[in-house]
Amino acid sequence: MIATLSNFLFHTMLGHVVLVALETLAVLVPLLLGVAYLTLAERKVMAAMQLRKGPNVNGPFGVLQAFADAIKMLTKETVIPSGANRFLFLFAPFLTFSLAMVAWAVIPTGNGIAVADINVGVLYLLAISSLGVYGILIAGWASNSKYAFLGGLRSAAQMVSYEVSIGLIIVSVLLAVGSLNLNDIVLAQRHVWFCLPMFPMFILFFISALAETNRAPFDLPEGESELVAGFFVEYSALAFGLFFLGEYANMFLMSGMTSILFLGGWLPPVGIAPFTWIPGPIWLIVKILFCLFCFIWVRATFPRYRYDQLMRLGWKVFLPLSLAWMIGTAGFLMATGLLPHQGVS
Amino acid sequence: MTALVFYVFATILVLSATMVISARNPVHSVLFLILGFFNAAGLFLLAGAEFLAMLLIIVYVGAVAVLFLFVVMMLDIRVSEAREGLQRYAPFGAAVGAVLFAELILAFGHWRIAPAIDAVPHLGQAAGETNTAALGDLIYTHYVLLFQACGLVLLVAMIGAIVLTLRERPTGRRQDIERQHARTVADTLELRRLPLGRSVRELGGFARPTSYSEAAAKGSYDPHAPVLSDESRGE
Amino acid sequence: MNWIIAFPELVLTLCGLVILTVGVVQKKSTNPFAACSMLTIAAFAITGFLVTVSPDGSGYEHVFVNDGFARFMKVLSLIGGALATIMTLSYRGTSGGGRFELPVLILFSTIGTMLMASSDNMMTLFVGLELSSLAIYILCAFDRDSVVSSESGLKYFILGSLASGLLLYGISLTYGYGGTMEYGAIRTVLIQSGGASLGLMLGIVFLIAGLAFKLSAVPFHMWTPDVYQGAPTPVTAYLAGAPKIATFALILRIMAGPFGALAPQWQLLIEMISVLSMVFGSLAAIPQTNIKRLMAYSSIGHMGYALMGLAAATPGGIRGTLVYLTTYLFMNVGVFAGIAAMRRKGHETTDIADLSGLGRTSPGLALMMAIFMFSMLGMPPTAGFFGKLMVFSAAYGAGLYGLLAIGAITSAIGAYYYLRIVKVMYFDASAPAFDTRSPSLAFLSVSMGIVTALFVLVLGPVTSAAQAAASALIG
Repeated sequence: MIATLSNFLFHTMLGHVVLVALETLAVLVPLLLGVAYLTLAERKVMAAMQLRKGPNVNGPFGVLQAFADAIKMLTKETVIPSGANRFLFLFAPFLTFSLAMVAWAVIPTGNGIAVADINVGVLYLLAISSLGVYGILIAGWASNSKYAFLGGLRSAAQMVSYEVSIGLIIVSVLLAVGSLNLNDIVLAQRHVWFCLPMFPMFILFFISALAETNRAPFDLPEGESELVAGFFVEYSALAFGLFFLGEYANMFLMSGMTSILFLGGWLPPVGIAPFTWIPGPIWLIVKILFCLFCFIWVRATFPRYRYDQLMRLGWKVFLPLSLAWMIGTAGFLMATGLLPHQGVS
Repeated sequence: MTALVFYVFATILVLSATMVISARNPVHSVLFLILGFFNAAGLFLLAGAEFLAMLLIIVYVGAVAVLFLFVVMMLDIRVSEAREGLQRYAPFGAAVGAVLFAELILAFGHWRIAPAIDAVPHLGQAAGETNTAALGDLIYTHYVLLFQACGLVLLVAMIGAIVLTLRERPTGRRQDIERQHARTVADTLELRRLPLGRSVRELGGFARPTSYSEAAAKGSYDPHAPVLSDESRGE
Repeated sequence: MNWIIAFPELVLTLCGLVILTVGVVQKKSTNPFAACSMLTIAAFAITGFLVTVSPDGSGYEHVFVNDGFARFMKVLSLIGGALATIMTLSYRGTSGGGRFELPVLILFSTIGTMLMASSDNMMTLFVGLELSSLAIYILCAFDRDSVVSSESGLKYFILGSLASGLLLYGISLTYGYGGTMEYGAIRTVLIQSGGASLGLMLGIVFLIAGLAFKLSAVPFHMWTPDVYQGAPTPVTAYLAGAPKIATFALILRIMAGPFGALAPQWQLLIEMISVLSMVFGSLAAIPQTNIKRLMAYSSIGHMGYALMGLAAATPGGIRGTLVYLTTYLFMNVGVFAGIAAMRRKGHETTDIADLSGLGRTSPGLALMMAIFMFSMLGMPPTAGFFGKLMVFSAAYGAGLYGLLAIGAITSAIGAYYYLRIVKVMYFDASAPAFDTRSPSLAFLSVSMGIVTALFVLVLGPVTSAAQAAASALIG
């Protein structure tokens, strides 16, 4: 029985498809559950920081709040504004949501364990995260509303600006790794996590990740005090829900990237007995949760940036800093002969 | 299987390329362009050039097309006006296109790479090298001069953009961030002891902190502007 | 080894970056324009010296070559760049005052021309050409408050991009059919394959078309008059000099090098372009009333004469072309220095009628302009005569009698409009005098005038250098 099953799964075409589908589900189901509870966690954590109670009605400690929200969202009416571009209007949230999902294909949860362990994993992640801007831009344009449009334009400029420094920071990491494969990047941190030798870049990356996910204090695209709700001001019901899910899934993704690039991915902090007993995926989840907590912490702490300050920070501070760091890293590795040559075997 | 995937990508690519030039709405054109980029990236993947595929998406879709879309969305393009000249120029354009096409057919009909090509050495991919590493080797080691020259081209383009468009206008209220950081509470906040029962208005309204003009970028703020009293705020 | 052969380029690039930084960090109250221009001229001088002592060799995986030919062309384009920069010293835009990016862009453009002169690979050809052209597009539109300047920049940019497209098309066809982009390898392949395939021939045609555009040779000349007229005068002087010389370097190098074996095939094409340029340049110049437009048509004609040497496809022909370009560079800068001096109450005037009576109001300038005009038409013993003599004799040696005859006829037609300017200056009623010339323009016109008039004194060294360059190319 088992032999037939393994034969089916590993040696036939259809089996392969089924296997990939199963792997995908194994990643997506926990992710979606995580997203659902992240919304709850955010409200709880912020409530705690602001000396409130947060949601506590639905279920014990409010654990059913996420489902209550979901049901509410699903049962509402989808309103399409007059003059909106119908197809694009509905396409935008779908795009945002699905992009946040497909990126997980390359995230390794253990040594060599990923839905697709590809050579250019980092580039894939960068590519997918850079596409996130389309959902917002299209939503802003297709809504046929000034607030939405302004939000869309802001986000386009903002995300493109911060992608530049994200890219350069990633290049610094890649210089130290010598490979674009995410698994190799994690393995390169066996001795020391990159967040220690590259601490400034770790901070810069985290801040850029905030900007890239349009999170506070860089949530200008939705800036409710000036743009009502920015790019999704016209959205309701399921379409809004998809944006919502997409945004939180993107937070997960950026946390995952931060963990893999700087916090040693699925590696334990030190490779000795009690730590190595805990399996890799757990470590990765712990690190992701830590990053997510920081996301929420920042939101509860800092006021929103003004738009010109945001742009100044991106272009005049982060870009030169990350560029200088990249050159410094390259020079240091070259001078000390530590430059890895993994790509050239 | 690969052939099937190739035809899917290629068909969508050609179709979306056609739509780019025939779509009535310029925003749709750009979106089709993006779709085209995606399928081109797919073709690269099929050809085993995963690095190029990702680069195409990061650079063209993730950055260039975003700015395209950004601009196109803000433009108020009247498609009918843009098409006015079409009737007049279409035959001419078609003729040029036909000639080029015929030449291409002619050229490809006799496709034959020079037979003696093996006589010259070529730079290539070392065995076991990923194509990312191979490209890096070519660009940063062998063709570094050209790489740097391309960098110069971009620098010149940047200088050009600044030279041709940047105008230092004294009207913008830009913030001088260092001055802003150096500001202290005492510069900004003035505590006044008010007699009971009398409002701020009777004491001359809200005074604007003097440091306002100091914190602003030079010339962008007029310190002699009339002080905003709370009457003029229109309570 | 690699870096030492490209040392002059590297030095010039570094100088450019330093000058750019100097200009940017200067306080806004002190205009860094003059300082940056001076530094740029110094950078050109240093680089020029380095070029003359740079060693022969090929480097960077056969994308860059340094030989006698490259050195000759580089020195010429550096001189062109330096002279244009001197001319910018007196430049005032519509909104007054020069901006320091002007010399910096000229410098970067000149780096492009040096790369072109040293190209040993189609990729270098393209990158160098783009570097030099992109800077020039910006320079043409530099006077951004003037409509004609913006128009000229935009026009040049759009048509130039089209030409770059054609050029790329040619390069990719050549690569597709030749299998390589290195000049040496293409040559080997072509010789061993015994002739070119149809696709490769198409590639060559597109290559020539793209390069002919940059040369402003007929039938790819349509941008020339508008761009010449609209661009700021120092920029016009620059774009008529160094970039054209560098484009000639490219066209000579690829025609003589990789496609040398195909000479019978491309010779006819070059002859045709040469004839058309000479005829069109001389006929279309006749009705012009604006001196910058006139110079545009005149430059079209001059490119035709210079191409004559290439059409001959002999070392003598190439030597003739090189000498022709040298003389053209000097007299061209001189004429434009004269045009830049045509200012009344601070405004530039460019009508030929404005020159009337210059012989009385400003005899020095008139004398210099007259010398340049005589040289342009090829009157002995001015510089222009020797250039023409050499290309004509090369054409005669190669048996291109038809080309020779047409060249002689068009020279005679050209004499009409060049002499018309001399007539306007000396025999027409006086127009109001021009403003006093700035020292840089006076220096330029006088020194160029001396070089042009007494070219015979340096003819020997120039010819032998050109001979060495030509033999480095054809061997």
